[in-house]
Amino acid sequence: MLEADALTKSYGDTVALHPLTLRVAPGELLCLLGANGAGKTTTINLFLDFVPRSGGRALVDGLDVAEHPLESKRRLAYIPEQVQLYRTLTGLENLEYFHRLSGAPPLARGELRALLERVGLPRAAVDRRVATYSKGMRQKVGIAIASAKSARALLLDEPTSGLDPQASNEFSALLDRLRADGVAILMATHDLFRARETATHIAIMKHGQLVDRFAAADVGHADLERLYLDHMRN
Amino acid sequence: MLATIVRKEFTEQWRDGRVRLAAIALLALLTGALVLGRQSTRTLAAERTAAAAATRADWLAQPAKNPHSAAHYGIYAFKPRATLATLDDGVDPYAGVLTWLEAHKRNEFAYRPAQDATGAQRAGTLTAAMTLQLLVPLLIVVLAAGAIAGERDTGTLRQLLALGVPARTLGAGKMLGTAAALGVILVPAAVLGAAAIVGLGGDAAYDLPRAAVLAGCYLLYFISWLALVLVVSARAPSARTALAVSLGVWMLVTVLAPRLVTELARAVAPTPTASAFAKAVRDDLEKGFDGHAGQAESMKAFERRILAQYRVDSVAQLPVSFAGLALDEGERLGNVVYDRHFARLWSGFATQERVRALSGVVAPVLALRALSMGLAGTDVAHHRAFADAAERYRRTLVAAMNGDMTRHAVGEDFDYKADPALWAAVGPFTYEAPSLGATLGEHREALVILGGWALVATLGAIAAVARVRP
Repeated sequence: MLEADALTKSYGDTVALHPLTLRVAPGELLCLLGANGAGKTTTINLFLDFVPRSGGRALVDGLDVAEHPLESKRRLAYIPEQVQLYRTLTGLENLEYFHRLSGAPPLARGELRALLERVGLPRAAVDRRVATYSKGMRQKVGIAIASAKSARALLLDEPTSGLDPQASNEFSALLDRLRADGVAILMATHDLFRARETATHIAIMKHGQLVDRFAAADVGHADLERLYLDHMRN
Repeated sequence: MLATIVRKEFTEQWRDGRVRLAAIALLALLTGALVLGRQSTRTLAAERTAAAAATRADWLAQPAKNPHSAAHYGIYAFKPRATLATLDDGVDPYAGVLTWLEAHKRNEFAYRPAQDATGAQRAGTLTAAMTLQLLVPLLIVVLAAGAIAGERDTGTLRQLLALGVPARTLGAGKMLGTAAALGVILVPAAVLGAAAIVGLGGDAAYDLPRAAVLAGCYLLYFISWLALVLVVSARAPSARTALAVSLGVWMLVTVLAPRLVTELARAVAPTPTASAFAKAVRDDLEKGFDGHAGQAESMKAFERRILAQYRVDSVAQLPVSFAGLALDEGERLGNVVYDRHFARLWSGFATQERVRALSGVVAPVLALRALSMGLAGTDVAHHRAFADAAERYRRTLVAAMNGDMTRHAVGEDFDYKADPALWAAVGPFTYEAPSLGATLGEHREALVILGGWALVATLGAIAAVARVRP
């Protein structure tokens, strides 16, 4: 579903992403771990066609994102590290707006309202303007936007940043459900614990290179931390 | 998708208290300008109609007197107040509204309201045209500068583009949404404008098509601004930069450029001051010009020619009044001088107008201003049309007086007294303003420039928005 084939990105002489080849099949969740500047966000930006690639290909459901920028985006959902919303609109209005633009089948207001409550947004906040929201509340609206789209692929860039532990847990449960529905998920994160809990596969990136990749089930929490730190030190 | 974006843009703009405040302030200004304009038009139109009737009555009430005395008694011609001057009074406050028509002289226009105004009044005259030309673009800057740049600043642009929203659709939605927010001000203003000109006693068949074209011109102008600000917003790295650049462009294009271009126009086609013009005319009347003899010498030659034509030795033997003939010849000679000087003056003004209109290529407000004044009937071309009509009437009136004297004052000359019925033989002064077609022809360059601005700015906005990256 999500596929990088020798995908590279350079800014002049600086290589941001060395040839990257990876594949996320339906029902898989691949966590990209790495320090800041490791190339995680660049990889996500390349899948979104937000930056022009320097080489290789990024495919969503078999579509080259550079050749089919709109069609490929119709097939995926994206949650950034900091979900940004329109401050003068309510949470529900924001969800309604983004959902209508997503090209997904329309949902009734009641369904959207229920969706917001399901991702943990307090009922009283649904009809309040977003200007009064905390970062965590905005993040929940972002999750609702992605969920409502019912996309076949999901790109997540530090999605649980700012969420309280309970909301993070609920988010993990949501990812499990999506995965069970056959959604392919690529998630960039610093959160080793969450990666071990939710991922089917884990990849470690360093200086724009994929340095390790393994099944999440093959490592324990302690092993993952040791492995990660070893890669960062070397 | 487009409708969704438009609706959201409108909602956001409308919920923004600052925008609401600016919109209310602008609407209040427009309403004030329209109310004042209507009041002014109604008062001036009534006063001028009454004054024109009074001067005609005075002319008709003259007792039996020498026709030349009647020609010197003269009559005033009042420039009718155009109904659409309610919206744009153009050059009217500077050009004068009445002229005295008398023998021998083509008098300059008198009663220029701007002459009697204080400096503060001149600088702060509030008209609907000024509000629409200067302040609506400023509101467009406030509304649209952050349209794309603001979304980039906050990060919502990234989320929108990640949804697969085509950038062009987003741009079109931004433009239409902002236009809808503007519509909240401009639609009521247009209704108020229509209400302001209805009932002023104008000729609807003449005014309405002009008002419609005028509205179309302003629409093109607003589209140009909206698209221009959208280009800036799409290219600027931040909303703050977009606002600063847009405000700079607004200041340059609507405030500075018109003043600079006015100076440029004066440099390209200098026109004399009123006193220098009057002196040059006086000199040519007395001394002649370019090989033409002065009046005194010409009149001697004219006498010889008349005596030869009638085969007589002295004016006393003529079967007609030589005084009448001489007055008519004096008029003819004077008219040659006036025609020459006024043609040069009007040509200078026309060149200045053309420079200003062509400068619309860099500042669309200049092209709009030319069209706005033209369609409102308050530009130089309309003033010239009235001045020429008044001059034609003066010549007709004076020729009628001289003709009567030539035929009936034989042997009496200036002792002859005409019957008061003669005064009524000269019909009242009437004036037909240039047609809409003539006005559009006069300002075709400005119209093309304004249309070009709207087209190029819109294409530029489409291109700039299509390249938008988060």
